Amino acid sequence: MSRSRARLVRRLVHTMGLLLFGVWTIVPLYWIVVTSIKPNLLIYREASLFPSQITGDHFAFVLARTPFLHYIQNSVVVTLVTTSLAMIIGTLAAYAIVRLNFVGRPWVARAVVVTYLVPGSLLFIPMFQVIYSLGLIDNIVGLIVTYLTFTVPFATWMMIGYFRNVPSELEDAALIDGCSRVQALARIMVPIALPALAVVALFAFTLSWNEFLYALVFIGSDSQKTLTLGLIGLVRGDTFPWGPMMAASLMGTLPPALVYLVSQRWVVSGLAAGSVKG
Amino acid sequence: MAVRARGSFVGAKAPPASPTRLNPRRLLGRDWATAWIFLAPCLLVLVGLIAYPFVSAILLSFQAKLVGSPGVWVGLGNYQDLLTGRDLSAQFWQSVRVTVLFTVAADVCKFVFGLAMALLLNEQFRGRTVVRALFFLPWAVPSLIVGLTWKWMYDGSAVGLLNLIALRTGLTHDLIQWLASYDLALWAVVIAVVWASTPFWAMMFLAGLQAIPGELYEAAEIDGADVLGRFRHITLPGLANIIIITAMLSTIWTATSINFVYVLTNGGPAGATMTFPMLAYQVGVAGAQRLGMGATISLVFTPFFIVLIYFLTRRLLASER
Repeated sequence: MSRSRARLVRRLVHTMGLLLFGVWTIVPLYWIVVTSIKPNLLIYREASLFPSQITGDHFAFVLARTPFLHYIQNSVVVTLVTTSLAMIIGTLAAYAIVRLNFVGRPWVARAVVVTYLVPGSLLFIPMFQVIYSLGLIDNIVGLIVTYLTFTVPFATWMMIGYFRNVPSELEDAALIDGCSRVQALARIMVPIALPALAVVALFAFTLSWNEFLYALVFIGSDSQKTLTLGLIGLVRGDTFPWGPMMAASLMGTLPPALVYLVSQRWVVSGLAAGSVKG
Repeated sequence: MAVRARGSFVGAKAPPASPTRLNPRRLLGRDWATAWIFLAPCLLVLVGLIAYPFVSAILLSFQAKLVGSPGVWVGLGNYQDLLTGRDLSAQFWQSVRVTVLFTVAADVCKFVFGLAMALLLNEQFRGRTVVRALFFLPWAVPSLIVGLTWKWMYDGSAVGLLNLIALRTGLTHDLIQWLASYDLALWAVVIAVVWASTPFWAMMFLAGLQAIPGELYEAAEIDGADVLGRFRHITLPGLANIIIITAMLSTIWTATSINFVYVLTNGGPAGATMTFPMLAYQVGVAGAQRLGMGATISLVFTPFFIVLIYFLTRRLLASER
């Protein structure tokens, strides 16, 4: 009797907990969506929680009257180039650290971890100087270069962890058969490591897409703005046009949110692997 | 093992007769040439874009330098001005206080929420996959957009969501200035940060919980341990390593994050939310563009992060082996 009561209490606590976290998670997301489709009247004059009327005006405004699509395009370019470069650079470096015999190997491995942990906002001022002296201020190329500072160490670190678990016999056979290191890497290791590469791509994509500080510091003109910076540009003086801003926020959230939903199994295992056991 | 054995085999074959002729393979390792070619792009990033800026930050901190003009060497002048000078030291010490309070409060909340969320999701129930996907969704929302959304919810007029609810339910008759009142602003920012990063903690904890063998719990139950006992003697010790790693990672990221503060309050009101990266940004990039002083502000906090990174690196490399 008391046992089944204990179970009931447990069920109740569990359900209550899920409900609380559900509300906590949904409310801000709901407010983005609902603001983006409410006519201005229902946003400001007669503010309502559950709108009686919906409109596509805010989306139309953002798409037609602001350079939003151009910002998205910049974000896509920056994100794709950064992600691809990070995957290539990280794979090569991780392979060397795990499989090649050279003096200084442990130091390189340590340097990778340390740089992975150095937060970008500690370095944005000297980085400004570096980008300035390269002549890349106000240019998305400058963003691509700086985004490598957080994607490359991360990619290398992830790939080190994965390559460690691939038995070296597989590759030794190919090397004895006369394959070069590059061939062994491309034909044997990379195909095996595709799941890890997918995780790397996923994180590099999300990190680059969401980045804001470097963009804020380096970029000034509309033609070079990425999504996050462009969003702030929608503010006029002190007024926040919340309808268009939430519409743009919703559209800007969709790419990483969809990528996350499609690959969430990998997100969870990848995050844990990246920071716990490589 | 096999690799190492082969390496020494190659070394043994090298002609011992001429000790004066150095064998680079023996000196630098069997695959040194290939290895450094493979590593070159990665090292270029590590050295050129992380180590070099770090060194140049140190040099900058000894100069009075405005954007676009040559710097003037001032020795420890920036440090002195920052710590004891008239115009900045009050702001600086305020930022120390705010950064510590902000980081500790956010970390504690994230720990409690993240652990609770992970424990809830670790149970078997219908629709678990969907619920998990939803709970972790804030992780994928760009932090800038999280900041904007909360700014809109905190709006100080009657149309901000929180004021709307507070007024309708009769909790208050006056509008609450969540972001404009000195006492509330920091906590308002903390809540937005916690909303955005609880999923990361929950993901880490969930992975940790799933690695604890179920037999431990069964054995404890047979021994008569109650829920709290099992939590204290099995769950917490099982998660200890992950808790430490997550807390250190989160401390580094939270203390140095600028997006939330930038959007929500821009450091205000009256410095109530002025964390040190925000101060560095305002002094070094926005406004006066005093690059040297901006770099100094970040550098003064750097030793703390070096210590954290040192211990975290040791832990990460240890669990790697």
